[in-house]
Amino acid sequence: MTLQKSFSRRRFLGQSTLAGAGAAASVMSLDILKSEAFSKQLKQKGKRVLLLWLAGGVSQLETFDPKPGRLTGGPFQAIQTAVPGVEISELMPKMAMRLKHTAIIRSLNTKIGDHGGGSRLMHLGRRDEPNLSYPDMGSVMARELGRLDSKVPDYVTFYTATEGRGNAVGHPGFLGSRYAPMFLTTDNKPQNLRRLETISDLDHRERADLRRVLSARFSQGRVSPVLGSHNVAYGRVRGLMSSEALFDITREPKSIQDKYGPTLFAQQTLVARRLIEAGTPFVKVSRAWWDSHGQNFETHLEMVTELDHVMSTLLDDLQERGLLEDTLVITLSEFGRTPTINGSLGRDHFARAWSATLSGCGIRGGTVFGSTDEDGQHVKDGEVGAAELFATIYAAVGIDPHHEYYVGSRPVPLVDVGTEVISEVLA
Amino acid sequence: MRLSQSIILLALGFVPLSMVHGETLIQDVVDSLLDAKMQQVNITAAPVADDYNILRRTTLDLIGRIPTSAEVDRYVTSEDSDKREQMVDQLLQSPAYQKHLAYDLNLLLSPAGNNELQSYLELAVTQRRGWDQMFRAMLLGDYEDELERQAMKFVKLRVKDLDNLTNATSSLFFGVNISCAKCHDHPLVIEWTQAHFYGMKSFFNRLFENGDFVGEREYGALKYQTTDGEQLDAQMMFLSGKAIEEPQWTSPDAEKQKAEKKQLEQLAKDKQPVPVPQYSRRAQLLDIALRGDDRSYFSKSIVNRLWYRTFGYGLVMPLDQMHPSNPASHPKLLDFLAQDMSDHGYDLTRLIRGLVLTQAYARSSRYDGETRPPQMWFAVANVKPLTPQQYAAALLFGARNPSQFVSEDVVKAQAEIDSVHAQARTLAVKFDVPSDEFQVSVDEALLFSNDAALEKDLLANREDRLIGELMILSTDAEVVATASKSIMNRPVTKQEQRVMMKYLKHRKDRREAAVIQLVWALLTSSEVRFNY
Amino acid sequence: MAEIGPKFFKEVKQISRDDILLRISHQKSMQSVYVGSSDAKIYSVDPMADKPEFHEFKGHTSYVMGLVDTEKHLVSGSYDRSLIWWDKESREIVRRVEDAHDRWIRNMFLSPDGQTVLSVGDDMVCKLWDAESGELVRELVSHQKITPNHFPNMLYATAVSPDGNLIATVDRIAKIKIWDFKTGEEVTEFEAPKCYTWDPKKRIHSIGGIRSVCFSPDSKSVAVGGIGPIGNIDHLESPGRVEIFNVASGEKTHEFEGDKKVIGLVEQIVFHPSGKWLMAVGGKHTGWVQFLDLEKKEVIRQFDVPMHVHQVAVTDDFSTVYGAGHGKLIVWSMVN
Repeated sequence: MTLQKSFSRRRFLGQSTLAGAGAAASVMSLDILKSEAFSKQLKQKGKRVLLLWLAGGVSQLETFDPKPGRLTGGPFQAIQTAVPGVEISELMPKMAMRLKHTAIIRSLNTKIGDHGGGSRLMHLGRRDEPNLSYPDMGSVMARELGRLDSKVPDYVTFYTATEGRGNAVGHPGFLGSRYAPMFLTTDNKPQNLRRLETISDLDHRERADLRRVLSARFSQGRVSPVLGSHNVAYGRVRGLMSSEALFDITREPKSIQDKYGPTLFAQQTLVARRLIEAGTPFVKVSRAWWDSHGQNFETHLEMVTELDHVMSTLLDDLQERGLLEDTLVITLSEFGRTPTINGSLGRDHFARAWSATLSGCGIRGGTVFGSTDEDGQHVKDGEVGAAELFATIYAAVGIDPHHEYYVGSRPVPLVDVGTEVISEVLA
Repeated sequence: MRLSQSIILLALGFVPLSMVHGETLIQDVVDSLLDAKMQQVNITAAPVADDYNILRRTTLDLIGRIPTSAEVDRYVTSEDSDKREQMVDQLLQSPAYQKHLAYDLNLLLSPAGNNELQSYLELAVTQRRGWDQMFRAMLLGDYEDELERQAMKFVKLRVKDLDNLTNATSSLFFGVNISCAKCHDHPLVIEWTQAHFYGMKSFFNRLFENGDFVGEREYGALKYQTTDGEQLDAQMMFLSGKAIEEPQWTSPDAEKQKAEKKQLEQLAKDKQPVPVPQYSRRAQLLDIALRGDDRSYFSKSIVNRLWYRTFGYGLVMPLDQMHPSNPASHPKLLDFLAQDMSDHGYDLTRLIRGLVLTQAYARSSRYDGETRPPQMWFAVANVKPLTPQQYAAALLFGARNPSQFVSEDVVKAQAEIDSVHAQARTLAVKFDVPSDEFQVSVDEALLFSNDAALEKDLLANREDRLIGELMILSTDAEVVATASKSIMNRPVTKQEQRVMMKYLKHRKDRREAAVIQLVWALLTSSEVRFNY
Repeated sequence: MAEIGPKFFKEVKQISRDDILLRISHQKSMQSVYVGSSDAKIYSVDPMADKPEFHEFKGHTSYVMGLVDTEKHLVSGSYDRSLIWWDKESREIVRRVEDAHDRWIRNMFLSPDGQTVLSVGDDMVCKLWDAESGELVRELVSHQKITPNHFPNMLYATAVSPDGNLIATVDRIAKIKIWDFKTGEEVTEFEAPKCYTWDPKKRIHSIGGIRSVCFSPDSKSVAVGGIGPIGNIDHLESPGRVEIFNVASGEKTHEFEGDKKVIGLVEQIVFHPSGKWLMAVGGKHTGWVQFLDLEKKEVIRQFDVPMHVHQVAVTDDFSTVYGAGHGKLIVWSMVN
């Protein structure tokens, strides 16, 4: 298996190099030793990412960028937080107390206002190109932060609601299927993790070996990414089987389970914490579905209350376990919601001025970057797009955003060339 | 031979042998042009695949299952010089061919997970309707005709979201994905502007759902807003940029609207279709897309898709990016095949037959040279993931007792084959439909490794199952040979035999389990998962 | 004598605004109304004037969700959780009760004798206040704070029976509670579950709730309004529904399920004094007004109106209806 993996890696990725920002000249140099040592460092430090994917488009006005006193502000007021001068929605009193861990970016303008396109952009960090399949954030994190021989899954995503599930892109693209997510939908744990009683552990292993040997013969002279993915998938089975316990929240003390709460989102976030704790480099917990075209305030009252509680509990929990400094917690949607309120007391899609947050690892907590005008209709300063956000996220966990992969002989930078990180939110 | 074809061929400086006999064979043109290009770029093609490979590949591609051991034997031992052509024609005549093509067309045309068009497609393929006829039926089918009524599901399933309908039609029938051009001029392709998107949408903007039917109004404009904030009226415009002038129309006054509403409600109640208006915008699209110069979008798109289906890679890639800045790898070949399509009533089977009889199709997928040639030269066959239906069939047939499909009574044997093939539909739901950047998920590997139901069904020790047959064979060598032939459709190699017999030998104390595990390893091997 | 009735319903005046008018109260014996706005202000205005002037009452800091006109004061409640007593002439604050509720105030009602002001809020408490002194008289606590699906509940509306004996309160999870006015004891509870949609599968949250409640003129029945079961809870995509219960038995005597002409929430119900029909108003993106015959149990008339109607104030003789809604103040006449 190792032989085949390194073979396919060489084929499809070439050697990766680390280039400094804007240092286009060094792109062509192969600095193998340096990159290996660097990766090793990263992996040893064990950085992880927990993405709270708020699918459907959470309203920035009912969360992190309230506009009290304006017609666009809605009925909920703004409250003081632990950070002087910074106010957030009154729907988030618990996060208000903990804002010192969190950086808010209020100035996203991503231009794509449909669920499919917006989600895709906010998963890949860039627009598609017809002939290149980009990996999503999770796959990149799995590759850069994960360990080859890892016994835990390195990319897990939860998406139980059926709405919008297809938009939550999780594909490794040119990085290869090794970095494809474990996509949990109906259950909080992957199915088929347990060996059947009809086969012994020895036979289970050796049966898999036999399969591999027979397949290896077939693979000779037949290079193809999809063929490679088949064998990689089988190669991961044993490792994943041994991680079954991680998905079982009944193994957590009741007091912890109660702290998170009984909702599905809370439970999945707790499982995510377990996975993070065990070393899974990327876990995405999707909370769908925020698309409140009608009854925006009722919906956000419900769901922001839950988000406030779950996110606070999570940050507290990570901190208590000493994990927060190595874990980056992100809240993100495909876009925000219109300041203008429609007749059903709803808000519609709005990609022109919206917010995301970053907490924990590598982040300068208690900061706010960027601002929107008094009604929230436009970004006033600090306008950034998906590229800047992604660059900042990668930088926060120690990945050089200008790092380049090779697809064939073509260098593919991690973020678009010329993108700058939002240094104000980085520690 | 048609004038148009000779013109193209002579322009290419090409005079195939078959032309001498008065009939240009698609396969000859394809091979000549592919070979010429390969020579140009200095690429050596892979050798021809062996009979086992060719039989398995063709059977999977044409009828969606693997050959039985008996079929393998028959083909391999035949000494007819034209046995390949015979085999192809036999497959093309079977009902399974029609079902399989309909299944693939349904995957293409229906929204994900939906198979409402399946029965229409099966009938259309069985009746060998042209692709243009099918297009007409799917877009503007006559509700009085039972068959076309079903075809109209293509629109009905999407009529609530006309942007979706526009994108789907443009992508699936014309090979052009213009969805990006909705909000602003296409970021990457200069040719596609908002005017193009809304131009195409204009053909559909008067459609609405009325009970079980799709209706079209005689009035109604499509407005849109440009990135500059300008409000514009869209004009019907095809992808080529050709705009359509339409006769003046007026919106009905309140009285008329009321009457119309009442009439529509009554029609819905009576389960009657809405009459097609005198002037139908949809009809305009059909007109411009199927007549004159602009029909090359339509013909090239279906050629490209069938080519992709056969070879695993298109003449234009991606399939929905057929625009001037993304030329075909073999432009003249695409032109020829598109013209041939158009000249022969858009007969899908004709093209499919031609393609699977090429030399290019018969090449091995194994390349032992230094660098594997890029797919665009078709020098090596592609490894293609099986569709859920194909994979399910491969598993079910492979895991069956091979003697089940052998009988003096040919009808009985065929009935058995059909029965197992039908069961594939149920098993197929467990697998993902391959997409462009398809990667087998670890969920699939876990399913096979630990799922009780799957094992129980495929690996049961029963008379009608492979395991049942293997358990009564006397020697390990026989076991290995029989299993390999049934599952991989070829004889086992010496190396494989060695490895497998060793596995069995170490498990004398648990013979049944060992045989089951052996079959498992074969069924889950990569070779079975793919068409190669 | 002029004829008055649903079939004569027509718009006589429409005033467009930038804000959302949420509450409205008719000033008795005058042509003017008080309206409560999303801009946190209350306005008094004579809508039928040539150039209607909106006179401000400034004091709240969020949506005005309750407006009752007592003899001495105008009393208002808001999402800012406070109640304010206003001097009607000077438009100044006479008394402000900060933190009148622990959570957002949703609605208010004035007892028939004018002595008690009731307020309901998302702290799930119905509070009774002395209309003149502003003292808290009683609290009705029973609606659950958390829904069975573990989310915050909301208490949307309250009403007092015309005979002054009973109070009704209605909430998000479609429960209706009836209380004894004098003692504050809970008398009975029933529910209209179709008014609440919990989606566990597609979107995993809820929508709906009973938004309006009104006793019949004989105090024997109570009508509640909301929206029917919804498939796609991103939108108010179901007909507005009205259910009528017999108070004593708790039995549902009728339901008006609505149709595609009345898609959206029933925000308010007003009975005609005869008890023979009622008016239900509401909407989604735009709005409607419908008149329902309680004897024949059928729809009399339905009208599309150009705004989502949040509340109406009706003159005693039912000749004029003043409507507060999304972006507009509209006056309708019911006179031939």
